Amino acid sequence: MYFFLQIALSGIATGAIYGLIAVGYSLTFMTTKALNFALGMWVMLGGMLTYSLNVQYGIHPLIVLPVVMVALFALGLVAERFSVYPFLRAGSDVWVMSTLAVGFLMIDLAEIIWGRNPTPVPPFFGKDPVYLGQVSILPQQLLIIAAACVTFVGLDFFYRRTLPGKAFRAVSHSGDVSSLMGINTRRIEALSYAVAAALAGIAGFLVVPLTLAEPQMGTVLGLKAFAIAIIAGLAAPRGILICGLLYGAFEGLVSGYLYTGIRDIVGFTIMIVALYARPEGIFGRRQEERA
Amino acid sequence: MRDTRALILLIVTALAAIPIITGGTYYAFLGIIVFIYSIVAIGLNILSGYAGQFSLGHAAFMAMGAYTTALLTKALATISFFAQTGLHILLGVICGTIVAALSGIILAVPALRVRGPYLAMVTIAFGWVVWKILQEWVSVTGGDLGISSIPKPQIGVLRLETRSFYYVVLALFLAALALQVRLVRSQFGTRLRAVKYSEIAVASVGIDVYRLKVIVFVISAAFAGFGGTLFAHQQNYISPDNFQFFSSVFFLLAVLFGGAGTILGPVIGAGVLMLLPEMLHDFDKYRLIVYACLILLTLYFLPNGVMGLVTRRAKAQGATDTQASGDDQTAVVLPAVSGAELQIENVSRAFGGLIALSDVSVRVAAGSIHALIGPNGAGKTTLINIVSGTYRADSGRINVDGADAKITSMHMAARQGIVRTFQTLKLFGNMTVIEHVVVGKARHSRVGLWDALVNSRRGKEEDRRQLCEAKALLRLLGISHLERTPATALAYGHRRLVEIARALAVEPRILLLDEPAAGLVAEEIRALAVVIRKLKSMGMTILLVEHHMDLVLAVSDRITVLDHGAVIAEGEPADIRRNERVIAAYLGPSHAAA
Repeated sequence: MYFFLQIALSGIATGAIYGLIAVGYSLTFMTTKALNFALGMWVMLGGMLTYSLNVQYGIHPLIVLPVVMVALFALGLVAERFSVYPFLRAGSDVWVMSTLAVGFLMIDLAEIIWGRNPTPVPPFFGKDPVYLGQVSILPQQLLIIAAACVTFVGLDFFYRRTLPGKAFRAVSHSGDVSSLMGINTRRIEALSYAVAAALAGIAGFLVVPLTLAEPQMGTVLGLKAFAIAIIAGLAAPRGILICGLLYGAFEGLVSGYLYTGIRDIVGFTIMIVALYARPEGIFGRRQEERA
Repeated sequence: MRDTRALILLIVTALAAIPIITGGTYYAFLGIIVFIYSIVAIGLNILSGYAGQFSLGHAAFMAMGAYTTALLTKALATISFFAQTGLHILLGVICGTIVAALSGIILAVPALRVRGPYLAMVTIAFGWVVWKILQEWVSVTGGDLGISSIPKPQIGVLRLETRSFYYVVLALFLAALALQVRLVRSQFGTRLRAVKYSEIAVASVGIDVYRLKVIVFVISAAFAGFGGTLFAHQQNYISPDNFQFFSSVFFLLAVLFGGAGTILGPVIGAGVLMLLPEMLHDFDKYRLIVYACLILLTLYFLPNGVMGLVTRRAKAQGATDTQASGDDQTAVVLPAVSGAELQIENVSRAFGGLIALSDVSVRVAAGSIHALIGPNGAGKTTLINIVSGTYRADSGRINVDGADAKITSMHMAARQGIVRTFQTLKLFGNMTVIEHVVVGKARHSRVGLWDALVNSRRGKEEDRRQLCEAKALLRLLGISHLERTPATALAYGHRRLVEIARALAVEPRILLLDEPAAGLVAEEIRALAVVIRKLKSMGMTILLVEHHMDLVLAVSDRITVLDHGAVIAEGEPADIRRNERVIAAYLGPSHAAA
């Protein structure tokens, strides 16, 4: 039983990371019906920046985090302008390829800057596990869960209680009507990509002490987060968080009781099956195509 | 035509001469790889270029083919019968292709329920699962080390060295190219291209779009698997590294770069992208950067790929060639129309809390024109959507000639003889007017995929017959002079008529016209009225949703008025005009009282 709780709990920490990334997909999908296919590479960028600032320059993590967020937010704006907007405006689907291309660029540039070798990043608040009864958890994992919760509550508050947040939701609902109401739809769309990038940055910052800092670190994270977003429903951010946590726990259990190699095979297969059963996602509402 | 043949002959001769001229095996080896990759890219082009369904998992199908043949031929090679006859290679190639096609079905059935980015992502996930299984299932696949000493290609007792294998692969590549040409130029191919532009419109003419997409996905997977088997025998060694996510991206890039939805695009793409790294030394280090830049540059500056540049120039030269041949004036009689009676019984439908239709009943007599009017938001379009199978009703029945039509989807409605047009036009991009009508004829076409693949005589005759009928339809609507014009180049009024022509091609018994006059100028509306009356005189039953009261009053036999999802009046045009409730609904109660 303790083993079960143990691996489920550390799984939840990983799940919180997935949730953070997956919500990023959801934000841009809701405003533009498009998304950054290479969001995992942005997670990597967040992780590598954290490595540089924290390990190489010895800057305190609490200062590193806002720097990473601002940097990715800004880069997200730039990437949206050049790799998403021109194609969306032309009504074309090829942003799938263009965002991937930006991701590939980032991987190779990261390899040039930081090299290919995985480098460890020490946990921000010590290595000694904290005991909750007989179940132990690493301080970094606690930090991840806490940070993810704060981010989600903040996002939720932003969306439901603040004026710009309401504008976001209005654009998600109907871009045309929103622009008639005087909302700058274009700005909201660009911002949603920037916020998604910043969320990926937070995820990279949080996860890098658990994994290792390397240019390939984000690829699989990004894929899994997308799988989760699809299982939950791309238009249901709250559902995505729940699915992310559950998926993380599930993954922990599969690796704990079966073996790690099969973990991702099971996960992606579930996604394909889930999509067949409920194309709109578990938490998504079915939408009929307008004729 | 003769020029094209001469050019093809010249290119084939040049390709055949490469191993002889260059001596050595290096260029022959490169050529084999380019041909193999081209075969895979051609398969992907049929799916992504023509049918518009992005796949980023084609390397997985290639892997299926490669691993199947590798395992099978290695096992069979120990039996002397196979080793002597070379049958194991043939068997391996066939089985590898079949296994790839079957795994295509397994992926396509769930994945094609979704579109666009979802589909792309599911194919990525599938590719990733396959790649991971190849790594983890060590006892069968050899894990990361892969499979080595795969039997070399051999035909009968003849073992093929690189140079002789080159000719075999060249022939196979040309066959794949020819197959693609047949496929996309057939009726099947026309439907396929239409799917890229509007799935809903393809469904509206009675085609099961989902089934069509699954079929084309499987064909595409088979091409990739076939390429994979050749790859395995050429390399003699395969490992998961050969089939990474990046390989899938490579193939899609090849298609986009060369020109998606063009016959030679995938070949040019695969050729250039394969040979480019060979030309640039030290390229491997920055492989991703170079490809990434290439993707972005292609998307920015060559939206239609390299072939886009070529065809644009060709079009500018041959623009005068519009009046096509084969316009034989033999009077083609349009099939007789037998309009059916349509009964809408107690239909209700709510969207969340909004009741769009409550208990609506309308009876449309066979061979009559029945108009459905009402203020905005009255539920007219919802009703059309339900009758045509676009939406499902919460309750109620739709009867055709007294029998429950049991409409569950758009293509099922069309098969019952209920066909619609769309208020917001849903045409097939730059496909020509006549192609729209040909897609509409799918239900009555007796030829399918098989005839396209074997280029049967029956197929050719059927094509000719359909073309004649399609032309007759265009003549009926007075747009036969536009037959070869792409829909994107048409005037708005003509686009409306193309929608109607496409619907008529299905030979409907009940035609649903959803605001056909929207956006038309007065003169076009008068022409439309003539067309509608002509259809009635042929015996068609027409349900017309329209805001232009002139048109409604001019053509309708009966009018039903909807307001807030309920029927408020029904009768002949003269009665409806004077009906107080109708006037109140349109202009507000105060006017009705006055």
